[in-house]
Amino acid sequence: MLNTRRKVAFRWWSRKSFWYLFFLSIFLLFIRFSKGAFLLDVFAIFSRPFWPGTAQKEWIVNGINLEQQIRIDLLEKDNQRLREILKLQNSSTKSQVSAAVISRRSRDFWQQLELNKGAKDGINEGDAVLGPGGLLGLIETVTYTTSRVRLLTAPSTKLGVWIERSKVHGVLTGVGTNRPQLNFLEKMPDAKLGDIISTSPVSTLMPPNLPVGVIQSIDDQNLPSPYAIVQLIASPEAIDWVQVQTSNEKR
Amino acid sequence: MKRDKNRIFYQCLALLVPFMTLLSPTWLSISGVGPRWAELWLLPWALEEGPVAGIFAGFCLGLVLDGINLDGSTQIPALIFLGYWWGCLGSKSRYSEKSFVLGILILSGSFLSGFSIWLQQIFQVHGSFFNAWALHNVLAGSIVSGLIAPLLCSLSLNSFFRGKG
Repeated sequence: MLNTRRKVAFRWWSRKSFWYLFFLSIFLLFIRFSKGAFLLDVFAIFSRPFWPGTAQKEWIVNGINLEQQIRIDLLEKDNQRLREILKLQNSSTKSQVSAAVISRRSRDFWQQLELNKGAKDGINEGDAVLGPGGLLGLIETVTYTTSRVRLLTAPSTKLGVWIERSKVHGVLTGVGTNRPQLNFLEKMPDAKLGDIISTSPVSTLMPPNLPVGVIQSIDDQNLPSPYAIVQLIASPEAIDWVQVQTSNEKR
Repeated sequence: MKRDKNRIFYQCLALLVPFMTLLSPTWLSISGVGPRWAELWLLPWALEEGPVAGIFAGFCLGLVLDGINLDGSTQIPALIFLGYWWGCLGSKSRYSEKSFVLGILILSGSFLSGFSIWLQQIFQVHGSFFNAWALHNVLAGSIVSGLIAPLLCSLSLNSFFRGKG
């Protein structure tokens, strides 16, 4: 009887530590490609006691003047009727979800906010995020209970806007600093300091006519096209509560 | 035995890296840019466990951090390199015990990783990014990490790895 089998054999797959590291890597890859799905939900649970209180929210809600509200309602109904005729994106069929900011990183390489509402509350990728004053950013990724906002100041954020006064269109591009850059599409744009810019009414992605910012300086000598520096109206550094405009219909 | 327990506890402490990155306390930042927590965790680990464990830890931390950051740039290559470099330093020499040296290591390491993100933003994102904003982010991040590194890293080295027990 010849026993060719060794008593102790080294098998790399029978080592416990290998499988431990293997499954750890798989789990971390899952976190990476779901953009932090599980991790952010855990963070939301742990940071729940420290979420901002309702004082600012109540202030926002109560601060709305009733008379102005009635006038806006009438105007919006009128506007909605006209927009339906033109078959453009409609702002009034959307509902707003208010969410608290649970993580705020507005100055680092990644300029983003984390909100405490996610897919559970009907938030989708690409929804507009509003602070008191105007547009703050767009929803970049959504987990079940949280969502991530790409701020307008973040590099490579692009948004179609226009100057309401002179009907000049442009692309608002984040460059990392506090003030994004407005690249005009024309050679000689009719833009002045202090002009208010808002989201473009012909956009099929964004709700129309959300206020964005004020032009602070213009460089009209720049080639290939002139640009302006825009001061945003809503400041992400000071905001605890935001409104997310959720779209009811799937895009 | 106690050392093994301490090692496992230190591995669990790595969970603090994404949580502190998300919290980003404002009192611990230079004009909004906080310290680089991944490097602060990685340095004691790599110094004690050697280059291979350092590379693997850098890879894991990079995956997690890319998961909680916006798309467009990755920290994995820089963290892998730092894990390897600090792992080699730790096995060769003992001058990592001085807390001033720990500060210098973190300062240069976070500068390298910040610089790698800056490079990716130049090449991947449209537009020119040789601007003061990126330089400010790199310098502020590395300075604030370098300032708290002598405290945090020597504390974790002493309590988790050098304890006589």
